[in-house]
Amino acid sequence: MTQPIVDVQKLSHVYMQGTPLSHVALNEVSLQVQAGECLAIIGHTGSGKSTLIQHFNGLIRPQSGKVIVNGMDVSQPKIDIRSLRRQVGLVFQNPEDQLFEKLVGDDVAYGPFKMGLPLEEVKNRVKWAMDLVGLNFQEMKDRPTYALSGGQKRKVALAGVLSLQPKVLVLDEPTAGLDPRSRLELLGRIRRLNREEGLTVIFVSHNMEEVSQLADRVYVMANGKAVCEGTPRQIFGNQELLREHHIGTPESVDILYRLRERGYDINPGAFLPEETACEILKLIQR
Amino acid sequence: MEKGLTVRKIVIAGVLGAIAILLGVTRLGYIPVPTAAGNATIMHIPAVIGGIMEGWGVGMIIGLIFGVSSFLNATVPLFKDPLVAILPRLFIGVTAYLTYVGLKNVNQYLAIGAAGFIGALTNTVLVLGLAVIRGYMPFGVAATVAVTNGLPEAVVSVIVTLAVVAAWKKLGSSGRQKSKISGDF
Amino acid sequence: MSAEFELTRNITIGQYLPTASVVHRLDPRFKLGAFAILIVAIAICNTYVGNLFALAVCLWLFQVSKIPLHYGISGIKPAIPFIIILAIMQLLFYGEIANGGTVYFQYGIISISSESIRLVIVSAMRFVEVIFLSSVLTLSTSTTELTHGMERLLGPLEKVKFPVHAFALIITIAIRFVPTFAMEMEKMMKAQASRGADFGTGEWWRIVQRTKDMFPIIIPLFNVALSRAEDLILAMEARCYMPGASRTRYTQYKAKGIDYAALGASVVISVVMLGIPW
Repeated sequence: MTQPIVDVQKLSHVYMQGTPLSHVALNEVSLQVQAGECLAIIGHTGSGKSTLIQHFNGLIRPQSGKVIVNGMDVSQPKIDIRSLRRQVGLVFQNPEDQLFEKLVGDDVAYGPFKMGLPLEEVKNRVKWAMDLVGLNFQEMKDRPTYALSGGQKRKVALAGVLSLQPKVLVLDEPTAGLDPRSRLELLGRIRRLNREEGLTVIFVSHNMEEVSQLADRVYVMANGKAVCEGTPRQIFGNQELLREHHIGTPESVDILYRLRERGYDINPGAFLPEETACEILKLIQR
Repeated sequence: MEKGLTVRKIVIAGVLGAIAILLGVTRLGYIPVPTAAGNATIMHIPAVIGGIMEGWGVGMIIGLIFGVSSFLNATVPLFKDPLVAILPRLFIGVTAYLTYVGLKNVNQYLAIGAAGFIGALTNTVLVLGLAVIRGYMPFGVAATVAVTNGLPEAVVSVIVTLAVVAAWKKLGSSGRQKSKISGDF
Repeated sequence: MSAEFELTRNITIGQYLPTASVVHRLDPRFKLGAFAILIVAIAICNTYVGNLFALAVCLWLFQVSKIPLHYGISGIKPAIPFIIILAIMQLLFYGEIANGGTVYFQYGIISISSESIRLVIVSAMRFVEVIFLSSVLTLSTSTTELTHGMERLLGPLEKVKFPVHAFALIITIAIRFVPTFAMEMEKMMKAQASRGADFGTGEWWRIVQRTKDMFPIIIPLFNVALSRAEDLILAMEARCYMPGASRTRYTQYKAKGIDYAALGASVVISVVMLGIPW
């Protein structure tokens, strides 16, 4: 087995330690992500997802346990934190809020300029990043950011992180608040980044459709612990597990389980929309 | 006070007042200039923006919130004097508003930028003026502080005010502005 | 290190310390009024004995409000270097301007007189008094009480068309949104740090660089605040909120004897303070 690109071992984190308000956010969480994987982290609000992902680029340093990213031990105070943050691109919830430059091109170029790259290299990276998220470089670079739609702004923000050319892309609820069309488009872009550009993608989501269609592997978190992990097929195919941890299900899984409850012979692991359709067709043709 | 505070004015004043308080209690409200008067501040900017957006009444209220919070949080004797901490701040939003109204028919960008500058200047001049009158510093020191603190304050004020108000008013790109990375490949 | 961005999470405005003392139970209207009278008196008073008296009153207030004195002292500590710098400046350069006293020493622009010495001592004392007084007020009164108290105190101004209620609402909104924006600010700092920004790590003399580093936080913070404002405006208008409409109150304050006594005491103390001629 190769060395995982992100390796979390028994990580714990307590907010406001030593005060009456102290709150355990993470409790001995362990997880491994292989290079090139697409990993989903799901769980209810307050289950520790956001705290966990902020460890990946050193925004939060481990209080106990270990986080090793691409060979760098995040708990070591001496590591080059800026290099770590370039390797792990973290996109927060509603990233469109973080745009601050007046023009799209300048905002995307903020990170590369901060790295001290020469102008030519910055241009290339901005163009590359804007192409990846589906923004036409020539057309969009001189537009004022505030004249854009919500979906476009989010793409600009994503391009702003991609222009650092990270090896790992971490996204916190990337599609929350987008209209269905922008949502589908963005999901397609993320999938392409993962499959074609070879980026390791880790994302947090409440949308089970998204998880089932995008992720290679799913971690389920509850009360600061990683309670189970598996492929979407293993997770969504196991009704006891879903019940036990109150995990929502994609609509297709719902339909499959209901059909099975009515006594139809059906495979509940066939949750991709096309597969579900096939299963139902099989029933009808029988 | 202007006749009739609308819901809009009340809310904008409250929200910008919140930022004034927040900038005061965190280190983000300060530009690190080591001088006798302490760090330079950017806490006058909410009052400037409020004045431009919703008129002098709103600007004055935000100035008052800024003044009271700087009075309560002060660690410098100068600002533990309500006359220095509160009174001058009332006028930041007022002069910013007057500047904006006076120039807005010439050019929107010019008017907003000038309002940011004048608002900051009002703060600097009145605070230091009162500091001299109240005997916290001699005139020479005040004049030095006006340059070392006042200048960066005014510059930051112009930049932030322009960025925020232009976005809020959704002003189009007037000067055919090009991004830094534009140009031929 | 993990506290790098957690600074904003822990901020508090007003550090209410419930010790259930007489001062805590005072009607906020009267407490605020008395406080305002004392502050004004301290700001005007420039005699030695008057300020000593004021200092004694402040210490007594800590005692009756059952607040440990170190709360007040912790407010003074960070200011000590400034007090010293200020004192030296006033001492050396103010003999000329603060005329009327005896000049003890004169050399070039440096001159030390009895008046400049008075200035040094009085302004240091004044500073300590104001810190003590405002500590007692904020430690013994919750922010809600403060807002209510202020609204009622300004009540009479309604007769001259001053929008008292709207004013109190603005203060309430401002205080309500501080923690919200603090969270936003923390998120913004983290998001910008994730794409290469760093804050406060540059050397102090690189002022331009450190100032530039603030823009990625400050500008989005204003934008987020204004969009929150739009949401709140919509919500209030949807509920038919009318500025200036008459409304009933949930909390009712009734002044008791002790409240009048507190107000009276503040007036007496102020008169004594300003009446002392030395």
